[in-house]
Amino acid sequence: MVDLGLLALRLAFVGGLYAVLTAVYGAWARRPAYARSARHAAYAVHALVAVAAAVLWHALLTANFSLEYVASYASSTLSLPYRIAALWGGQAGSLLFWVLILTTMSTVVHLQNRDRNAALMPYVTATLMTIAVFFLALLVFVTSPFERLPVPAAEGADLNPLLQNYWMLIHPPSLYLGYVGCSVPFAFAIAALVTGRLGDVWIRTTRRWTLFAWFFLTLGNMLGARWAYEELGWGGYWAWDPVENAAFMPWLSCTAFLHSVMIQEKKNMLKMWNMVLVLLTFCLTIFGTFLTRSGVVSSVHSFTQSGLGPFFVAFLLGVIVVVSGLVIWRRPLLRGENEIDSFLSREASFLFNNLLLVGIAFATFWGTIFPVISEAVRGIKITVGPPFFNKVNAPLGLALLFMTGVGPVIAWRRASARKLRRSFAAPLGVGFVTGAVIFAAGWRNYYAVVCFSLAAFVLATILMEFYRGTRARQALMGEPAPRALANLVGKNRRRYGGYVIHVGVVMVFIGVAASSAFRLEEQETIRKGDVVQVGSFTLTYKDIHFTDDPHYSSMLAEIAVAKDGAPVGTLFPEKRFYKKQQQPTTEVALRSTLVEDLYLVLGSYDEATGLMTMIVFVNPLVNWLWIGGLVMVLGTVIVMSPTAAERRALAAALAVEDRGLEAALR
Amino acid sequence: MKNATQTEIEEALTCQCGCGLTVHSCNHVQCPSGIPLKREIAAQLGEGRTRAEVLAYFSTKYGEKILSAPTTTGFNLVAWVTPFAAVLVAGAVIVVVSRRWRRPPTVPPPSRPAPIDEARRARLEAELGRFDA
Repeated sequence: MVDLGLLALRLAFVGGLYAVLTAVYGAWARRPAYARSARHAAYAVHALVAVAAAVLWHALLTANFSLEYVASYASSTLSLPYRIAALWGGQAGSLLFWVLILTTMSTVVHLQNRDRNAALMPYVTATLMTIAVFFLALLVFVTSPFERLPVPAAEGADLNPLLQNYWMLIHPPSLYLGYVGCSVPFAFAIAALVTGRLGDVWIRTTRRWTLFAWFFLTLGNMLGARWAYEELGWGGYWAWDPVENAAFMPWLSCTAFLHSVMIQEKKNMLKMWNMVLVLLTFCLTIFGTFLTRSGVVSSVHSFTQSGLGPFFVAFLLGVIVVVSGLVIWRRPLLRGENEIDSFLSREASFLFNNLLLVGIAFATFWGTIFPVISEAVRGIKITVGPPFFNKVNAPLGLALLFMTGVGPVIAWRRASARKLRRSFAAPLGVGFVTGAVIFAAGWRNYYAVVCFSLAAFVLATILMEFYRGTRARQALMGEPAPRALANLVGKNRRRYGGYVIHVGVVMVFIGVAASSAFRLEEQETIRKGDVVQVGSFTLTYKDIHFTDDPHYSSMLAEIAVAKDGAPVGTLFPEKRFYKKQQQPTTEVALRSTLVEDLYLVLGSYDEATGLMTMIVFVNPLVNWLWIGGLVMVLGTVIVMSPTAAERRALAAALAVEDRGLEAALR
Repeated sequence: MKNATQTEIEEALTCQCGCGLTVHSCNHVQCPSGIPLKREIAAQLGEGRTRAEVLAYFSTKYGEKILSAPTTTGFNLVAWVTPFAAVLVAGAVIVVVSRRWRRPPTVPPPSRPAPIDEARRARLEAELGRFDA
């Protein structure tokens, strides 16, 4: 069985190489049969990788401890869902999982484009398969998931207890889908550069893929934050850990691309810039993978001492050299019809939105690698931790929030004073009033005041857009308000779906600002019967309970909760002790409402004295962060849902490009 | 109840247990690094030292890497300044470039058309004729 997995990986590696070479030769020699063969080889690579993954899954499920991987990341007592998740719980398995997703996407891309994009596809095949070959080479030559132990282990070391949380089942796959999804637009970008077909086609063909990748990057980042919030027990959700940054940076550059590509579609501008963003996003995903696996920067997520760092650096450098060469070669074709009439225009505001998104990505990148720079320059190791990122990114983030309100509403070309007043006078008023009211109410955290004012401003602009659009439809079509609203969104899904995403973004800002500015925190060491008062909560330590099973033992404190004197329930903060890894974990107890989260952590318990240390957080409005994430996801679904108009636009673009190319060839 | 200075200092120091969090955020049970550090901070403050003095003490004792953010002196200033400088410079570039985009494209001065030889003229005539037909 295990040999089958090994064989499948080796054949997949060879098949991938074959696909790359045949695709390039077929395109170069204009022999479609070769391109077809390459496509079939790509399908075969997918099937082989699936076989390898199935073999590893089988080994995990049957607890085959003769495999080093299984013995390192599973145990006989590990439950079924975590055995499935153990596939991405360790180094080699997660690389295999990565290739599995990549090759699955490659198959979908090939099926979608069987009768389309004949000129681009060979290079798309070659690019996707080159990436697959890189990962397969690591699996075949460097870190095999099918490495056998000299003597089979009697018991596995178990999955890291921090990973034994239900988010493990969904956060890594989601993030990987986002990461790997960025490879598809990248592959089309490369194909467009090589063939010189740099018109609308590749952009329109990959739009949905980019959104798909963005959707999962958003979801992955959100789920990761939620996981940290529930599992790490420090009351927060984002610590600017290098690996969090690694997932955040491609999200930022992908967001920038999704915005600026609209300018290219509408005005044929910024072709070069959009190309750079697609290439950059892909490079950032590889950089992120490198960060997690190199041990260059320390992080809770790192697969330590893996020795894979140099391979990723080499691959990344190779990619950068090749894409830079291609971009420079094709520079003449990447000139758009760049034209800006005024800084008070949508075009200009999107440029500044891109500046801020990429600026935040750069600041994050800079902070992440600065320890390495410092060591190289001064020979002194320093730490760049959360205080740095918060201080640097907060002002940039607030500026971005402001642009979220301006960008979608300001007129194209040039906004007249009258139009500006019409679009922004009321929202600005709402923003100022909000700021004044909360300042008068005694808020003295200026970031929070500014953030809430801007949030009100942005929400007002969006509400006005919905209101005006609905009114216009009511007047023109005679539709009743609910139907007018539904049609407004249904017929302009990109625009109004985008607004829904922006509402989600505003909620995220509100959740982050409130929970970081007004968090209450208390640590108390108490005895049974003691009462702790935190904010409006009265917490009574009633009892402590112990449970034990072969996998872990656990203690739960029973805490009666009253708010403003009225009992609202009982919470059970828990501490677990995982037996195989001899490691404790915190399982926080949450009472979550739209106003605030009561977040209880059982710090420690001393049996001799009966003293229990409890950490209490009250995180105001933090739920809006998660709800905002869901709203962003919902908005993306609206944006992604296909419309006939969009299919027509792609068909038209295909026709134009084909005509143009035929004319050029004649 | 901890005082605000204690919390501030805990936030300014990194826990050395490998969690990557600040001393304040680290909540590992019996953390071999976070707990003694918290005690040490309290002791330092107890001796009447200021925040800056306490941070300097930790930086000297454990090395600069214990600080959770770069200092704002010397080379470390580069860490703080670069992101903003980059955004400002890129913003200036956008302004300059888009000003250039705003100008109407400069039309090259009309030049005398190159003389056409007879063979080409005949071909042109023929093709135009075909086009009209």
